This record gives sequence, structure tokens and C-alpha cells, in this order.
Amino acid sequence: MPLARSLSVTSLSGMEDWDEEFDLEDAVLFEIAWEVANKVGGIYTVIQTKARLTAEEWGENYFLVGPYVESNVRTQVELIEPTNPVLKRTIDKMNSSGCKIYFGRWLIEGSPYVILIDVAYTAWSLDTWKSELWENCGIGVPWFDREANDSVLFGFLTVWLLGEYIAQSAEPPHIVAHFHEWLAGLGLVLCRQRQLSVATVFTTHATLLGRYLCAGNVDFYNRISEFNLDKEAGDRQIYHRYCIERAAAHCAHVFTTVSQITAIEAEYLLKRKPDFVTPNGLNVKKFSAVHEFQNLHAQSKNRIQEFVRGHFYGHLDFNLDKCLFLFIAGRYEFSNKGADVFLEALARLNYLLRVNHSDVTVIAFFIMPARTNNFNVETLKGQAVRKQLWDTAQTVKERFGKKLYESLLVGQLPDVSKMLDKEDFTIMKRAIFATQRQCQPPICTHNMLEDSSDPILNCVRRIGLFNSSADRVKIIFHPEFLSSTSPLLPMDYEEFVRGCHLGVFPSYYEPWGYTPAECTVMGIPSVSTNLSGFGCFMEEHIADPSAYGIYILDRRYRGVDESCNQLTSFLFQFCKQSRRQRIIQRNRTERLSDLLDWRYLGRYYISARHMALAKAYPDTFMYEPHDPTSTTGFRYPRPASVPPSPSLSRHSSPHHSEAEDNDEEDERYDEDLEAEKDRMNIRQPYSLPFKNKLPSVHGANGYTDGVTSDKN
Amino acid sequence: MSAAEAFVTLATTDPYCMGATVVASSLRRHGTTRSIVVMVTTNISEEWRHTLEEVFDEVIVVDEMDSEDHLRLSWLGRPELGITFTKIHCWTLTQYSKCVFLDADTLVLCNVDELFDRDELSAAPDPGWPDCFNSGVFVFRPSLQTHDRLLDHALQHGSFDGGDQGLLNSFFSSWSVEDIHKHLPFIYNLSATSVYSYLPAFHQFGHNAKIVHFLGPAKPWSSGTSHSHTMEGFVSLWWKEYLSQTSSLPVTQPSQDEEKTQIQNQEADMQLRENLDSTNSLLANVSLQPAAEPQTSSHAGNTEEKVGVQDSPMGAEGEDDADTDLQHQAVDREHQQRWEAGQAEYLGRDSFQNIQRMLDRFLD
Repeated sequence: MPLARSLSVTSLSGMEDWDEEFDLEDAVLFEIAWEVANKVGGIYTVIQTKARLTAEEWGENYFLVGPYVESNVRTQVELIEPTNPVLKRTIDKMNSSGCKIYFGRWLIEGSPYVILIDVAYTAWSLDTWKSELWENCGIGVPWFDREANDSVLFGFLTVWLLGEYIAQSAEPPHIVAHFHEWLAGLGLVLCRQRQLSVATVFTTHATLLGRYLCAGNVDFYNRISEFNLDKEAGDRQIYHRYCIERAAAHCAHVFTTVSQITAIEAEYLLKRKPDFVTPNGLNVKKFSAVHEFQNLHAQSKNRIQEFVRGHFYGHLDFNLDKCLFLFIAGRYEFSNKGADVFLEALARLNYLLRVNHSDVTVIAFFIMPARTNNFNVETLKGQAVRKQLWDTAQTVKERFGKKLYESLLVGQLPDVSKMLDKEDFTIMKRAIFATQRQCQPPICTHNMLEDSSDPILNCVRRIGLFNSSADRVKIIFHPEFLSSTSPLLPMDYEEFVRGCHLGVFPSYYEPWGYTPAECTVMGIPSVSTNLSGFGCFMEEHIADPSAYGIYILDRRYRGVDESCNQLTSFLFQFCKQSRRQRIIQRNRTERLSDLLDWRYLGRYYISARHMALAKAYPDTFMYEPHDPTSTTGFRYPRPASVPPSPSLSRHSSPHHSEAEDNDEEDERYDEDLEAEKDRMNIRQPYSLPFKNKLPSVHGANGYTDGVTSDKN
Repeated sequence: MSAAEAFVTLATTDPYCMGATVVASSLRRHGTTRSIVVMVTTNISEEWRHTLEEVFDEVIVVDEMDSEDHLRLSWLGRPELGITFTKIHCWTLTQYSKCVFLDADTLVLCNVDELFDRDELSAAPDPGWPDCFNSGVFVFRPSLQTHDRLLDHALQHGSFDGGDQGLLNSFFSSWSVEDIHKHLPFIYNLSATSVYSYLPAFHQFGHNAKIVHFLGPAKPWSSGTSHSHTMEGFVSLWWKEYLSQTSSLPVTQPSQDEEKTQIQNQEADMQLRENLDSTNSLLANVSLQPAAEPQTSSHAGNTEEKVGVQDSPMGAEGEDDADTDLQHQAVDREHQQRWEAGQAEYLGRDSFQNIQRMLDRFLD
């Protein structure tokens, strides 16, 4: 899903002039993952969005390898004959030996080639292959773990494919095989075991054990060096999976993870320090109009406001224009996603806003799917009542307009006191009566199946935030993914995010974190943590992240209570900003989009592949490691610019903060000035060092001659 | 007369051989007077064939006949079933006048020789579609003519589920309506799935069961945790049968597996036994087959005794070179089986350090 962004000036100088020096003419890239053309979880997004860039780089020599799932193939793959003759022979040979392998184009941006393997078709080989795995690696796979059995089949089939490809090639090809996650990891181990001449890269997007341990409340990051890994994995019944993952990391030429924090996790839990951190990017689509995203924010915000009007009917004692929408979204993992910290901070924020007599109201949305049996009646009624009031107003307006018209027709100025007659008042009174409400506006929009044991609801009960009129912080828990067809809040996720003011993601375990990245690209500020991949990445690349609307919570070196306080102060600061300041902050946030674009982040992957090539084919390729000084110890000073903090808010005169709409250019938000600041504040993503094939390879007769002469 | 009639089973892979031996030994335990025959495909290892020869009256090697009907098999999601087409080879066993076919994943709980009173084609309804019979247990008359007609039928019409059951049901299409005597009671082919699809009936009639059929992909030999509670009782019976029969055949490969571990790894053995015990008590809860209970449990006692007795001879045998090698293999296979049952010794010999050592052999 390409996220739209405006055509704002690229703030990141020097990014465009980056050229590929590595000669890949004869090299072939296989990228192997269980989620190729098969959406299971987040890896799908990574591979699907990255494909365009990689396809541009490798062209005809780029093949994604995944499992054949018929329903997916029908909707997103166009099956074709293999274009590459070597690959065609390979696939034909394998299909005639009892495999079922399909070739096609994946119908996504960049339309890369995909090789899809039907693993179920070769299920009869499972026992043989398991025994082979056992003999060679000493890893057994339980019969009842279906996913692990699939990984055995997939691993053996991919290594067969690679081996056959080498056998079918006239000259030994240069192959990079890039494996994602443990499910594909066995293929890598087998490549090495069979001594195939393949450069291997292994990328983990999280570690199996890390996820389990974090969910188990074990004070993960402080004890990370103390775990007895074998025991922890074994006790959790994932020993074989953990062995596969660790074996793949151990055997890979180049090992990468998606973030600095996952790199630490991998170093301790897989006992190998990643060679690269390869952050996840997005495909950023540019708008044609400057700051279009601000308009979209206004539109979406209006729709959220409509929903709020209905939800709080009878209790609309707050100013919707002074209302900030905060949200948290993601899988329902109460503590891993930091919902606990968020709720606690909201309680404290409520207190702060009340004692400071603030006129700001905060509405916090929790978008986390849980088990429900549909919408609750009270919430639906709210929307119906709002609709009814709207209709009433329209009716009265019609009648009013007609009288006005008639009065004008006879050449009289209307008598204002007679414009609304008794009947009109009756209609309106009746409508107002209908909006009377005895109960508080509901917290949860749905009927929860496990209402009494639900962690969010229980926490809300404990901290006592019941949407009463005295509360400055209101909570709405929407335990279902958003959809534009919902009768309640008919918006899709992207629209919703655009309409909010701040995304809050205080996760404890978040290897990368696409949610804050998506916020950033849409120009919505967000709170993340230094335990999330995104937070680490931003902290490393921006000198003063909060000036850019990237608030990074310290959950690594602080206790929970301190983290809650810090989050509270972030939120309180945010609430004190004027509308003008928020607009400027959004502009700055949006300027960071380029930093998250695959066009820039993709280069980490490129480097990883080059390093693997150099390791696997030392005679042909050379890789000069990047100058280490530029990756570490980076800290630019705080910008000299005016940070959007209330103490310096003298610019926001009433004229600006109230009356103006938010899409207009302001003289104090100067593009050139901002770009200048960006150059000071934002570190360029890693630039590729010069590296190339060894000079001897560049013979006039082409590459093979070069190699032979080199070897002679 | 009894020589002319036989129970027939079929093993197409090594794990199914384990099942086949259990079929044979459970038939013998319950004193069948008929011959017991196994058909094996060519891919079965030599060792297993020898093992099978010990327990069966006759081992017949047949060519694997795959239906090549992968398209339809994929509907079922069970591509490995194609091999069961090999089953119709049983009609060529014309040395017998009448046979009862038992799938290798069945377990006989009492004497079922009365099945030979039935005529071709008698079978029990399939729990998934009771108008079809389940081809795990059926009575038939070997005849080359029928065999050819079956092959013709297969070639012309294929099989609607891609396996043997689809073929046989369309061939013997009148089964569901014609003759009630050809309907075997369900207790002759009690399938695992019925336990959860109709539990009260299982409680009422389950103790009458004569043959249990471990339908579906989870077989008892792939022992682990995902069998249903009640089924666990049958699974443990199956294991007792398997262990008992292997320990009475000290020369064969699998027996050595079992004993070797029991000797080698007392601790793990305790676990296994605890497991059996707990399933036993579960079995009691279902009040399954009260008559058979003492028999099996006394038998389990025997097994343990035998193991104890054989402890020292095994040790002595170990001095022989060839034997040590054989034993080593057996230990290795057993070791792998423990992983497959989800019981890797992650704190001991299976620690990742040891795995890494294996990996480092091929990394430079």
C-alpha cells in the first residue's frame, strides 16, 4: 500500500546522487520467504513493498520464492512460462521429478517474478527429508508441528531448486539467496550443508524466543544476557523452531535484523551479532499538491468529530475544536504493545489537565481487535441520535428557508420572531428530549466476549476513566479493525490515522513497528519507544526527534513508573501546543517521509547482499566495509530553530490559532529554512561505499574470461 | 478352511509398517484362526520386511500404484493417500477364498473372526458420509476378474476422492441400499473422529468396540499431544501392543530401539510410563472395555519385566562389532523419534551447542 505524501521538497540532500557501482550483470538473486505472495503477518508487507526497488536493481535476475497457495495465486499472481532458459530447465526438471513448481509474475508494484512451490504435493518425502535433516544437522522436527513440517518441505525444496539451477547453468552462476525468517531458514542451512556455491543472507524480523519471553513478563531487556536459551525454548515447546532459526543465523554468510534493538536481541538469543541492520521501509507516494496531507488531515478529522458527536451525545460539554485525538493501534498484546503504559499515562494526563484548568479535551482511541459479538447498542444509538438531530435541523432549515423565500417574494423583510413557529419548536424540543441520556458515554464500542477479564477494560476500571464530564481525557475502545463499511466509524485505517493528532505506541516489544512509520509518512506525529525498531532508527537519524513530532519514550533504561511519567509529560506538552504549532510540527513530521522510503532504506539490503557475494565468491567480488565512524556516535546538536514548544509560542496570536484553517502557507514555516534545518538535524541514511569486482575481472572479453585468467 | 481365509493389511511406508505389526500382533493376541498377510510396496526397507516376516504368515511385495490423480487428491488435502490405490491389489490374493482387509492404522481389540461369515463387500459406514463405506475394514473375495474390473473402473471413472475409498465406493455403489448384512456395525471400524463428533454415543457404545481405526493424519506412531482425550486411551493401547510385540521379538530393529532407550534413559522412560499410566486412568474414566482392561494391563506388566530381564543380555551382545553398529543405528533412530514426539533433550545431548558442532562440520 503506497502511502501518499506531498511533494514537499526533499529535505535529505545527497540522497539522490547515489549510484550503483556493484556489477551484478551475471548474478542472480533468489529471495525466499514463506510470505511471498502469501499474507500471514508483517513480513508480507516488507517483501511486497520492497519488491519494486529490488526488481529495479536486479531486473530479470530477481526471483522471489514462496509457497504455492491456490487462493493467493488466483488473486495476485499471473502464471507464465519461465523467461529465463536456465530456470525453465530447472523447473521442468523438478516438475518431472515429482515436484509441483509454478512460475509467474506477482501483481504488485514492480511486478517481480515469483517461483511458487507446492509443498503439500511433495509431502510424501517428509519422512525421508526429516531423516536427512536429522543425520546432517541433528535437528528433529515433531510430527504435530504443522508449520515446522512445512518449513522442512519448503527448505528441502528451495535447496533443491537452487542446486538444480546451478546444475542447469552452463557456467557456474553467482547466486545470492536471501532467506527471511525461520520458516525459510532450513533452506539456508541445507545450502551450506550441501556446499552449494551460493551467497546466503538470513534476515530475522524478530526472534522466536524474544517474542515468547517478552509476552511472559520476564523483564526481558534487563535479563537478556542471563537466559538459558535452550531451556527457555525447550520449556516453551519451540525448541526445534528455535534450533532452525539459530542454525540459519549461524550458517548464513551475512546475517541481518530489522532494527538496532532486534540486533541486540539476536546477539543474545541467537548468539550472532548481525552484520547489518536492514530497516523496513515504505513505498512513499507523492501528492501533486504541496501540503495536501494537511487538507486530508482536516477532512478526516471532521469525520472523526462527527463520530465523537454521536458517541458523546447528551454529554457534549466540551469544545470539539479543542479536542485532540490520540490513538493506539495494533495486535491486542496488552503489555507488549504498551497499552498498559498508555492507559496509566492517560490517567495522569487527566489529572494534570484538570488541575491546570485546561480547556483541551483528549480522546484516546484504542484500535485493537479482540473477541466481540458485534457493536453495542448504546454506541449505535449514539450515531442514530446524531443523525436524527441532523435531520431535524435540516427539516427546520427547509421550513425556515421556505418562509424566508415567501417573505422575500412579496417584497417584505422577514419578521425574525415569526420565522420559527410553534411546530418548529415542538420538533426541536422532541429531538432534544431524545438526546437525554442517563448513562455515561460507553468506553467500548462493541460487546466484548470476555468483558470481565479484558485487560484494557479492567485497567480503565482501575484508573477510573469513565468518560464522565469532569474528565478531560476520554477513552474509546474499538476492538475491531477499522473498515470503511462500518456503520459506526466508516473510515479505513489510513483515513483514521490522518484524522488523528498523535499516534501513541509505547511498545515493550516491537522489532520494527510499521504503525509509527505509517503515521510519519502521513505527517502525523507519534510516540514510540527506544525498544521499538522505529524508535531506535529515528533516534539514530534525527538530532531532536520531538521537534519533528517523533517522541521517543525511554523504556529501556527506566522503570515503568518513570516511563509513564515521561509519556505523560510528552502528552501534556503536546496538549499545550497551539494549533499553529501542531501544523508546523506536522509539516516537519511529514518531511521525514523520505527517510522511511525504500529508495533509501533499500540500500542496507543492497549492502548486505554485496557483502554476502564477497564472502561467497572472494575471487570475484570485493566488499569494503563501511567506514565505522559514520554509523556510530552520531549526535547533531539541537537545532537553532524555534522548537514548537509552548514557552516560545509568542507567534501564535489568536488571529492564527483560531480563525485560520490549517492548509495555508505561513511565513514562519519557510521551506528553505526548514530544509536547511533538516540538513543539520537529519542524518543521511547510510551511503554505499565504493566497491566493485576486483579489477582483474574486468577483462575486455567479459567476465568468464576474467575469472579464468584470474584463476590461472 | 481357515487356511483359505486371511486377514490382509498393507504397508506403504516405514511408519505404516509399525502399524502393520500392531495389526498382526493384536489379531494373534485375540486368537485368530486365519492367516495374516501383509502387502508391502517396493520402497519398504529390507529390515522392515524382515521384521514383518516375523509377525506375518506371508509378506507380499506389490508395485506401488499411484492414482496420478493429484488434482482430486488436492481436494482432500491428503496427497499421500494416492498410494492407497495399491490396496486394490488385495483382490489378486486368489490363494485365499475370502479375506478381511484391515488398514495398517487399525487396532483389533478382540477376536473378530466372525467377520468371515460376511460376504463381499461388507464394510462399515464412513463417519463423514454414512452412505459411503469406510475402506479401512472390509470383507472381500479375491478374484482376478474383480481386480481387472476395478482397474478398468479406475481408469474410466477415476476416484471421486482420489483415494481407494472413492474408487471402491463407486464400484460397489449399491452397498448403501442393497443388503443390510453387508453393513458392518460401526464397532468394527470405530474411527477416531467419531469420538468428538458424537461423544455421548461413544460413551454408550464405545466399550463394545472391536476394531479402532486411527483415521486422519495423526497416527498413534507419531505419538504426541494432539490426540483427543478419549482417543489417548486407544493410542496408549496401541503403544502397549507395539511395545509388547517388539520385545517378544528381540532380533528385530524396532525392538532394540525401544529397549535400548529404556535401558539408556531411565528418566525419560519414567516419563513415558507415567504417560501411559495417566492415559490408562483416562481409559478407566470412559469405562472402556472393562473385560479387556486387566488383560492389557497385565500384559504391560509383562513388558516391563521382560525389559528388565533382557537388560543384561543386551549389554553382553553389545560387544559384538556388527551388533554395536546395528545398535547404534537403532539408538539413533530412537533418538530422532524422541524429537519427533516433541521430547528433545534440550538440556542434555540435544543442546544447541551439540547441534552447532554438527553444523560447523560443513561450514569452513
